[in-house]
Amino acid sequence: MNVLVCLRVTARTSPAPLDAADAQVLARAGALRAGGHTVTALYSSTAAESETVATSLGPHVDRAVRVAGDELTSSDFHTIGQVLATAIRRIGADLVLAPVQGEDEPLSAAPASIARHLGARYLPLVEEIVGLDASGAEVSLRAGGIRRRIRVALPAVLATTPGPGLPAAPPAVPDRSLSVETVGLSDPEATVVRRRTELLGRPEPASRGTQTVNSAAELVAALTRP
Amino acid sequence: MISRASDARPDGAGGDYTARPPLPNLLVPIDLRDAAPTAPSLFALSEGRRIARAAGATVYAIALAEGELAPETVSRLGRAGADKVLVCEGAGLDAPALDATHGAALLAAVERVSPLLVLFPAGGAGLSLGASLAARLGAAFAGPADLEVTEGDGPLPDGVGRVFVRFWAAGRTSYRRLDPVDVERPVVAILASSGPGGPAGDADIDVDVISCGPQPPHGIEPVASEPDDGAQIPLAHALVLVDPSLGPAFLAQLRAGAPAGVAVADAAQDLAAVTAAAPEVLICVGAVAAPPIATPRARVALVLPGGAEPPGARTGDVVWRVPSDVAPDALARQIGEALTSLTRERAP
Repeated sequence: MNVLVCLRVTARTSPAPLDAADAQVLARAGALRAGGHTVTALYSSTAAESETVATSLGPHVDRAVRVAGDELTSSDFHTIGQVLATAIRRIGADLVLAPVQGEDEPLSAAPASIARHLGARYLPLVEEIVGLDASGAEVSLRAGGIRRRIRVALPAVLATTPGPGLPAAPPAVPDRSLSVETVGLSDPEATVVRRRTELLGRPEPASRGTQTVNSAAELVAALTRP
Repeated sequence: MISRASDARPDGAGGDYTARPPLPNLLVPIDLRDAAPTAPSLFALSEGRRIARAAGATVYAIALAEGELAPETVSRLGRAGADKVLVCEGAGLDAPALDATHGAALLAAVERVSPLLVLFPAGGAGLSLGASLAARLGAAFAGPADLEVTEGDGPLPDGVGRVFVRFWAAGRTSYRRLDPVDVERPVVAILASSGPGGPAGDADIDVDVISCGPQPPHGIEPVASEPDDGAQIPLAHALVLVDPSLGPAFLAQLRAGAPAGVAVADAAQDLAAVTAAAPEVLICVGAVAAPPIATPRARVALVLPGGAEPPGARTGDVVWRVPSDVAPDALARQIGEALTSLTRERAP
């Protein structure tokens, strides 16, 4: 089966090529790859960043595709989902993995939008991918006070969370060069990038200082102060 | 009074939001555990009531269920702030919510009410359904978020007060503030968890029932299930995240003394459950990489015993550096007492 990993490069502000959430989802994809499935990484970056990201991805994926353009970093989740879904449709994928936990936008809605535009099933907060075959993916997640194992028919988009015992980075394997394919946003099928600022909200500065306390009572007082 | 309406659309397609009803509606999807509303659900209703007072809005509580709600459940929703309860009845809707199985039913209710705001409670179905609903509606999405009511600017001409949804921007260096009146489509938000609100409404409220009929094939097949031993973590209004290197005895002592509404989590083992949490107060004990602060209103404390330092650059609103001569059991006792005081201070 074709597994596609949507990396968080689209939204991140970290200078590192891949953040912890990206590394963890690559580890999950790596387990599927070891089972004979093909893994493609999809990311959005500038051309200058692309080589660095590709070098990091080299040992872990069969194929890497870059969505060209800076526009996504300031787009709403509908636009990100639409653009990435267009790219995914072109690449072809049975199962899409997208990490939701990281330094930014922990509950980002982009995976749901990708699923919507792909016409795929969407499962958030997936903790483990137990199996994958042509009939579907078997995953574990928790919801409503219950830990569930379910089988979801393909195509599906899984938003994954970090879990205990999951390596922070994929296992090291010999490096190899990886040629990166590029999907341009200028393609008519990739639609127009919309900047719906009203959906993003207006920015306002966050001014938060840090108060030092010396006892449990002072801790409570500081936390309950309006 | 219970009234019934016609069948919902089973296809999950989005509706027409170009025309809004004359009065704004607020929709609060209710999470039920053992047929009772969760504490964050009651808090979300009380927040809805607070906004409704400022904006002249109607607060709808919506429940997705296989059958009727118990009268006591309806009364609790009314007392918490609902003006009306909308029940989407359909086979399989008592199961934990997933977009594939519950999304169409929720959309049916949203189409019925045409809300200005959809306020999901913390730690529940909003994590599964909120983003999908926003994607279907072309709506703004904020999760997790706070609500802010500003009376200084006065009500708008159409009777809507200044209500804002605040959430963190990417990078967490600034907030973002959504004005629902600016957005042509609804705003979908997941609220942070908070302590219980006081009585805010009338226990005697109307119930409308939408019959959702048989579900189309959804491609989800249950394989196994078991109770989640971390179920309280996403619901907690105060969450204590403990460095596992402090030892199991320390963790157990904190858990044993935690008051209602407070959850104590192992920073390594409970990581996935913590991802789903949006507490109002987060206390990190030891060298714990603090997860992102849930909302602008949330407060973060770092308790650093014996010279521990938090990994990473993120810091808290409050830092308590505990001297190394304080024994672990004494520290656990002091934190336990602080949690009890904190809960008492924040009670209505």
